[in-house]
Formats: sequence, structure tokens, C-alpha cells
Amino acid sequence: MENLSLTASAVISFVGRLEDSTATFYEELAERFVGDKETLLGFAKESRKNKLWVTRTYQETISDALEACFAFQGLNLGEYAVETVLVEGASYSDALKMAIELEKKAIEFYLDVAECSQSLLATIPRAFSRVAKRRGKRKLELESLHNKAVAGC
Amino acid sequence: MPILEEPIKETLKLKNYVDGEWVASQGEVKDVVNPATGKVIAKVPISTKDEINAAVEAAKDAFPDWRRTPPVARGRCLFRLRDLMEQHFEELSRVQTMEHGKTIDESRGETRRGIENVEVAGGIPSLMMGCSLEDIAAGIDEYLIRQPLGVFGIIGPFNFPFMVPLWFAPYAVATGNCIIVKPSSEDPISQIKITELADEAGIPPGVWNLVNGGRTVVSGMLDHPDIKGMCFVGSTPVGRDVVYTRCGETGKRVIAQCGAKNFVLVMPDANLGRTVAACMTSFFGNTGQRCLSGANLVVVGEGLNEREYAAFYEKVVDAFVDAASRIRIGCGLDEAVQMGPLRDEGKKERVLGYIEKGIKEGAKLRLDGRNVTIIGDWPDTCFLGPTVFEDVTPEMTIGTEEIFGPVASVMRARSLDEAIEMIHSNPFGNAASIFTANGKWAREFQYRVECGNIGINIGIVAPMAFFPFSGMKNSFFGALHGQGREVVRFFTESKVVIQRWF
Repeated sequence: MENLSLTASAVISFVGRLEDSTATFYEELAERFVGDKETLLGFAKESRKNKLWVTRTYQETISDALEACFAFQGLNLGEYAVETVLVEGASYSDALKMAIELEKKAIEFYLDVAECSQSLLATIPRAFSRVAKRRGKRKLELESLHNKAVAGC
Repeated sequence: MPILEEPIKETLKLKNYVDGEWVASQGEVKDVVNPATGKVIAKVPISTKDEINAAVEAAKDAFPDWRRTPPVARGRCLFRLRDLMEQHFEELSRVQTMEHGKTIDESRGETRRGIENVEVAGGIPSLMMGCSLEDIAAGIDEYLIRQPLGVFGIIGPFNFPFMVPLWFAPYAVATGNCIIVKPSSEDPISQIKITELADEAGIPPGVWNLVNGGRTVVSGMLDHPDIKGMCFVGSTPVGRDVVYTRCGETGKRVIAQCGAKNFVLVMPDANLGRTVAACMTSFFGNTGQRCLSGANLVVVGEGLNEREYAAFYEKVVDAFVDAASRIRIGCGLDEAVQMGPLRDEGKKERVLGYIEKGIKEGAKLRLDGRNVTIIGDWPDTCFLGPTVFEDVTPEMTIGTEEIFGPVASVMRARSLDEAIEMIHSNPFGNAASIFTANGKWAREFQYRVECGNIGINIGIVAPMAFFPFSGMKNSFFGALHGQGREVVRFFTESKVVIQRWF
């Protein structure tokens, strides 16, 4: 397998797409399943904040002296692609399952990029780790919602 | 991967900015070409002597009022400029990629470095403070104040079209001086954008001027009696033989930051993975077109026997060549790209000449950048791949002269002493780096090496805005350096007052 090396710009753009699509996903969920509307909209809001936060950290730390073009070795962004389109007529429990999978992939992505970016200034891997942690918390909340949804059936 | 949107949609017709107005030049016009696409993105005037004289006159007229403006108010202008730069961060970065060719990550890094200088200069009330001492004799006090001098000229290089003039301009303006910036005519658009923002930030007419052009503008500044000092970043022959010499003759202050041939030492205990990643940025970042680029990679066998050294050498060179061979080359607005083109065809020809010379002088061509594969359908006019030579000695042309392109020369040294000797035998003294886990070696290196910027496990030793950008030997001419407190001293005269009251 080729030892892929991504630019920081490519990784940050991926973060933007990931958080945007996640936010849209939760907004749709909130519209369809109004029972947990507030929580789901909270996740969407948090995702938009994650994007802003990671982008800002990148823009404020990047420097011509850092290994921005060579930092992310061995990553294939295709491996972190997630499904964010809800199937027509999907149940709340199915939707939450999908959300949990999405969060698992996102956490995996953030932990991997945090590991890869150790050669950048410490604030960049720290930003990725912080988002991984937030999304870990979110995954636990989703699992709890899922358990309730299943029990309610 | 998609190409980022270009901020320049149609050919720009660039003007000069003098006394708060954008004015058309009467000089001839030159094309500004995007080196990746070959498209003309702007037309830049080569201004006349009368036009530079008019700019000096405007700056001189603006000086008395500007120097009376309180430092805190001048600093606020710079903070507004900083905010505007942040708002336009992405546009400013993409413009650099379009006019220079560097990757978008590199451009954003350059934008950040430039903004940091504006931020630091915004703190001018503290930076410019003098000092005082009571009772130097009974009832007599003495104090030092720093005063601006007047008009300064700033000549920017092509390799960092956004950042380098900002090593000087914000500090000059913050200290109460007025400036004329002459950007490189090869990529002047970034400075045009900065000047537009300086205008928007409320910097008064005549304080910050921009005159496009070439030698006529440079000579006009060097010879003008109302210009108090010059800041130059560029090649050693021009910096030393023209700018520094002429400033000496005309009594001007001068900062001339010039060429380089930087050595990067890899010690046996270095973290190889991290070292190689750092070396890729160092040797091939900005397509090797920077005065802090690594040029000579010295594999040092300190403490190893012959067999161990041979194995260590092979391991380092194999990893270096392997990583270099994987670098993706193309248009800098493509986020997959790790290295852009050289700035123009002439610069590529020059680098090709050095590659030929290296082969002729007997160096072993381990990776040939002439066989370049480009991502995307771009003309190969300015593209060149990473090139690695082995068995280079300090006497060879490619081991001594500044190539200013993506060419690495690998050298052997059996000991740290021998490696330091190699550095000292080179006429330049800009930067040198050591990769090691050994504090004693690192300390020895930092202590002995005659270079202005020293890296310890750092491939690009670019000082932050609050530190001076140093340089020694043929890499620097002058006394005080750009950035931070040193440049504040450069732009001010120290006046001492001794007072007593009867």
C-alpha cells in the first residue's frame, strides 16, 4: 500500500465537510424526531463550533516553518467517509444507530489525525483530540437515547 | 481533490499608491504570470524616477504629522490593519499561491507570519519606550527617548511576496516613520492587497506608499537624500554590492538580508521519521526558494565505526530519497499538492544549470527532478521535481552556491567537528540545523556555528515576529535585523536628554 501523505489543508477541508454534513444530519433528525429536538440541535450546533474551532486553530498556528504539507502520513480520508443521508421512513432507533456509527468514524478520524499531527505545533493535535473527546461524549449520549428508544418500542 | 477557487478572476491593472491615492504609472508594463497555469493575472507598471521621487515627497510631507500622532493611536491603526488581514486571510493566501506558485498551506503560513508582525508592531507603546535614571549626578536626571527618522524604503523579494515587507513596514509606521514599499515586480499583488487594507485601516495619506517597478525605483530610493534608510531582502550580489554599498555611500541605515546555503546535520541518534518529515519542508518547501531552505544534508557519523556509519548513512539517505520521491507536485491551489512550481521559467533554467553542473562535477544523482510528474493538466514550464545528489563535497559548486530550487546535496562527515568545519568553509551564514537527541551535541552546535539562525530538531529556522531574523557572513549586511525590538531600534534614533533645574 502506498504511504499516503496528506497536506494540512486537505485534512482541514475534510474536517469542514465532516462537521457540516454532521450538523445537517442532526438538524434533519431534529425535524423528524421532535421528541429529542433540543439535544439533536445541540449536536448540530456543536458540530458547527467544532469546524470553526479546528479551522481557527489551523489558521492561527500554521506557519511557513512547519511541516504542513508533510505532516499527515499514512492517512486515507476515504476510510473515514460516513453516511449522513437518512433513508425515507427510517425509525428513530435506526436513525440513532446511524448517528452512533457516524460518531465512531468521526472519533477514529480525529484520533488518527491527532496522532499524525504531532510534528505540528501542539495546539493542532490538541484541537483534534478535544473534538474527539467531545464526539465521544456525544456518542455516549446517543447510545443512551438509542437504548431508551429501543426500550420504548 | 478539487482545486480551490481563484480569487483573481480577471487580469488586474496594478497602480502605485502615493499620498493616499491609487495612481497610474507612466512606465512600461510587465505581465505577472501564474507559474502553475501560465496565465497572465496582472499587469504591473515599471515606474519612473519621477514617480518614485513623488512618492518620497509625499512621505516626507506626511512625516511631521505622523510622528506627532501618539504611538497608541498609530498602534491602533495597525490593530485595525491586523483585523482586516484576518478577515481577508483566505483571499490573501490564495493570491500568494496564484502569483508565486507556492502551496496553499505554505501561503497560509506566510499570511500568518505576516499578520504576526503587524500584531507585534501594534504593541509599539511598549516596544518604543526609552529608559531613564534619576540622579546620575546630584539633582541631575538622564533619560533616553526613541524618535523616528523620516522616510524609509522597503524592497521586497519574490519568494515571500506577502510576508517579507511586513518584517519592516508595520514597525516603521508604528514608530512614526513613513514608508515606500517596492514589491517584487514578479509577484506584486500581495503588497497591493496589503496596501488596500492599510488604506482601509485609516493609515493617513503619505504614510504608507507603494511604488511598483524595478531598478529605476531601487536606484531612485538609494540615491534619494530624503530616504533615511533601506530594508532589502534578496540576493547577496545585489544586497552587498548595490544596496549595502550605496547606503554606506549615502549615509543611510540599512538592513540587507541576503542569500544562503544552509546545512542540516543528521546525527546518529536523531529521530529519523520526524527528521525526514522536517527535512522535506526544509529542502523542498516553497520549492526550495527561500533563504532558510535546507541545501546540504550532512549525515554525521559521530561515535560510529566504519560499518555502523555506512549503515546509518544508507538508512538516512534511503528514507530521505524515498520521502522526496513521493512529493506530489502541481498547482498550489490543489489541496493534494505538496510542492508548487518555481516562480518562472528563468528560475527553472537556472536550477537545471546547477543540476547539470552537479553531474559534471561528479556528484551522484540519486533522484532526478527533471523527470517530473505533475498532478493536473498544467504546462510544465516552471515545474521541477525534488532532486537529490549524493557524494557532494563542500568544494563542488552545488555544495557551495545558493541554488534556490528543490535540490538537496547529501554530504558525509565522520564527526560533528568535521561537519561544523564544512559549515564554516561556506561563505554564507544564514541558518544551520542539527537533528539529534543529544543535548551536548546540540549545545556544541549552537555555541560554535557561525550562522544567524540555529535549528535544533527544526528544519526551517524562521524566527517569530518578536525575535530578530538574524544572519551572518554573506547572508546579512547591516547591524540590526528585521522584526521585533531590533527593527524598532533600526527605525528610531536614540536621543539622550540630561536635565537639571536651577
